[in-house]
Amino acid sequence: MMNFNSFPAAPGMLLVSVVALNFSIGTTAYGQSAQAPASDPTNAGKAVFSKANCVGCHKWHGNGGGGYGGDALSLRKTELTRDQIIEIVGCGRPGTGMPFFMRGAYDEVKCHGMNRQDAGAQMPPEGGTFLRPKDIEAVADYVIAHIKGAGEPTYAECVTFFSSTSRVCDVYKTQAQKPDDAPASTGKGQ
Amino acid sequence: MERFSGHTTISTRARLLAVAVAAAGMTATLPASAADAVNQERLLNVEKEPGNWLHHHQNYSAHRFSTLKEINRDNVKNLKVAWTLHLGGIEGGGIWSHGGLEGTPIAENGFLYVTDGWGSVYKIDAHGGRGVLVWKMDPKTDRDWAGAVACCGVDNRGVALWGDLVISHTLDGRLLAINKETGQVAWQRTVADPDKGETITGAPLIVKNMAITGVAGAEYGIRGWLAATDLTTQKEVWRTYTIPGKGEPGSETWKDSNNAAASGGGSTWVTGTYDPATDTIIWGIGNPGPDWDSAYRPGDNLYTDSSLALDATTGKIKWYYQHTPNDPYDYDSVAENVLVDVPGPSGPQKLALEADRNGFAYAIDRTTGKFVWGLPFVKKVTWTKGLDPETGKPIEYDPNKAVQTYIASVTPSRTNMETDICPGNMGGKNWPPTAYNPDLKLWYIPVIESCNRIKVEVMTPDKLKPREFWTGGGPSQPFRITGSVTAIDVTTGKIAQKMETPFPNLGGMLATPDLVFTGQPSGEVMALDAKSLQKLWEFNTGGGVNAPPMTFTVDGKQYVAILVGLGGAWDKWFIDSTPELKKIQPGSMLYVFAL
Repeated sequence: MMNFNSFPAAPGMLLVSVVALNFSIGTTAYGQSAQAPASDPTNAGKAVFSKANCVGCHKWHGNGGGGYGGDALSLRKTELTRDQIIEIVGCGRPGTGMPFFMRGAYDEVKCHGMNRQDAGAQMPPEGGTFLRPKDIEAVADYVIAHIKGAGEPTYAECVTFFSSTSRVCDVYKTQAQKPDDAPASTGKGQ
Repeated sequence: MERFSGHTTISTRARLLAVAVAAAGMTATLPASAADAVNQERLLNVEKEPGNWLHHHQNYSAHRFSTLKEINRDNVKNLKVAWTLHLGGIEGGGIWSHGGLEGTPIAENGFLYVTDGWGSVYKIDAHGGRGVLVWKMDPKTDRDWAGAVACCGVDNRGVALWGDLVISHTLDGRLLAINKETGQVAWQRTVADPDKGETITGAPLIVKNMAITGVAGAEYGIRGWLAATDLTTQKEVWRTYTIPGKGEPGSETWKDSNNAAASGGGSTWVTGTYDPATDTIIWGIGNPGPDWDSAYRPGDNLYTDSSLALDATTGKIKWYYQHTPNDPYDYDSVAENVLVDVPGPSGPQKLALEADRNGFAYAIDRTTGKFVWGLPFVKKVTWTKGLDPETGKPIEYDPNKAVQTYIASVTPSRTNMETDICPGNMGGKNWPPTAYNPDLKLWYIPVIESCNRIKVEVMTPDKLKPREFWTGGGPSQPFRITGSVTAIDVTTGKIAQKMETPFPNLGGMLATPDLVFTGQPSGEVMALDAKSLQKLWEFNTGGGVNAPPMTFTVDGKQYVAILVGLGGAWDKWFIDSTPELKKIQPGSMLYVFAL
């Protein structure tokens, strides 16, 4: 059973700590260190990560971060296990902005032991697309293999993710220079 | 550029042939291009060609008022769809699942120039009671690069005309000059840098052979600016930062030891206005960053949340008026300053009007930058008891305080980490433009009647990262948000009328002699009586209205045009406050109405 008191009341905000979340999911085995690293050999998980718009809040690098619409969890710093990620992608996180992506969640299939009525105001939003169980497993494998525990995003990771001509990755080439080191007045001529 | 030549009707064949000839390199011999050339004389005297709509905000004063009155109070009930045109640009990119339409069409001699969210420009032939695409210029915006640092949508608010060029911006930071006849890019220049979190969503303002560009990105730690590009030499004439550099006047209003000014925000993403009498550009400046952790940046944080007046020739700052010093709410003053002249007790008053996100409408003396009057235009303001009648500052403002708390019990701060504010952080009015009827002296504000909840995150310099949010917290939407059209009598500085709407006004206003036009994100386009604001006509477009209406004539017949396609910030960040709008589908369509 989930302990809903551990979730913030404000919808759309994801400021609850990872530790609190892990304690709140009592039915799932805890202890990610025992977990074997998964992989994403066919890029199926990466495709889901883009298609299901995980990037919309967690960003391409999975670090999430505070922002205009609240604060998406950092998947790089997460301690969630593969099974926990599968559960959260499928069922969402009640009381937060993390949507559910499993068709029939809270209706045909109870989530965290609840149906829609039980969840009430804590009901998470519905994802923009539904994912098949295979897709959910794939995206969890992708997060485990390529994002979780990965430290700060790198140029190599970025070009692997985008594999395109976009300049989205250029900034990671010069990551050493932080903007607060720049002089206050940089003059003209960009 | 993409060309469309599949049309075979007699009425369009000749025109298409002309375009084809132009594309073959004979543009200089076509008399049409000389007659259509836009110069400063025409931009200064738009009232002499009422059938055209040459400026983003209709005139240099941002009146968005047309003298056309074929469509009027008596017959507007007969207004019908004349034609429509599907556009593109709804694709996603970066953190955005889809684009939207926020642009104002430009109309000249029967042709329309419109943009989609990714900055494609469409030239449309509106002759003969139908719309035919002449050309489309796709700037191939780097979607992942720009879309990842666009805080508030895949947006482009339109183009401007100069000479035989169409001048436009792209989200990824470019200024483009496009051949008006052929749609080919004549030249382009990089003005903003998405690597720094800078993007461009506003339409350019053309002043004396210069394109003035504003920038977005305060949520990503930019240092805002305005930049002027010479449209002949293609070089930068001036760039004025909205946050003073070290040692410059105003830098003393950044009192921290974090070098907060270097990433202090102050965006300029709404097109400003120009007063030719004094050669002054007046532009609204956005909020300071990080948005909600105001203790990170003690001091008044000039020139954020200000109306800023600049010498158009040099870019030098003439005066400023700051609305919300040390803003802890995200109350940008980025809105357009509407320039009006009204009779005053001691002679004519030359005013700049601004409807601020903080919920107050301001009249500033645009000669001196001094406060004249101000009043709340929203139904609910909780962050201040009101404005000081002399200075216009919030009553609680204390110049001796480094961190302003206003009404501390509701103000986000390091000791009030979660709080509800009214207006919400999207503001009482966001970018959708006002309109002003100079005959009635009524100023129409598209209002978001709102509250929302702010959660504060304490920021430290190590959290500042290129291309990552720099907000110091975030909003959520536990309250239903509605809207209104609110008319202010500029001679008295009082509210004359308020017409409430079920949804916030995310599109903006158009005024004609006895009507105002506007829309709703639930799909309706409507005409209201200019005095009573009584609804006289409505049409449901079936999409979400997120752009302002405009009007023009072709061969003497009046049309009203509006882009329809809900995108922008609302869809992603604020939709929980208007749950019915979740049903509105992404779209991209131009609607044109006539009697």
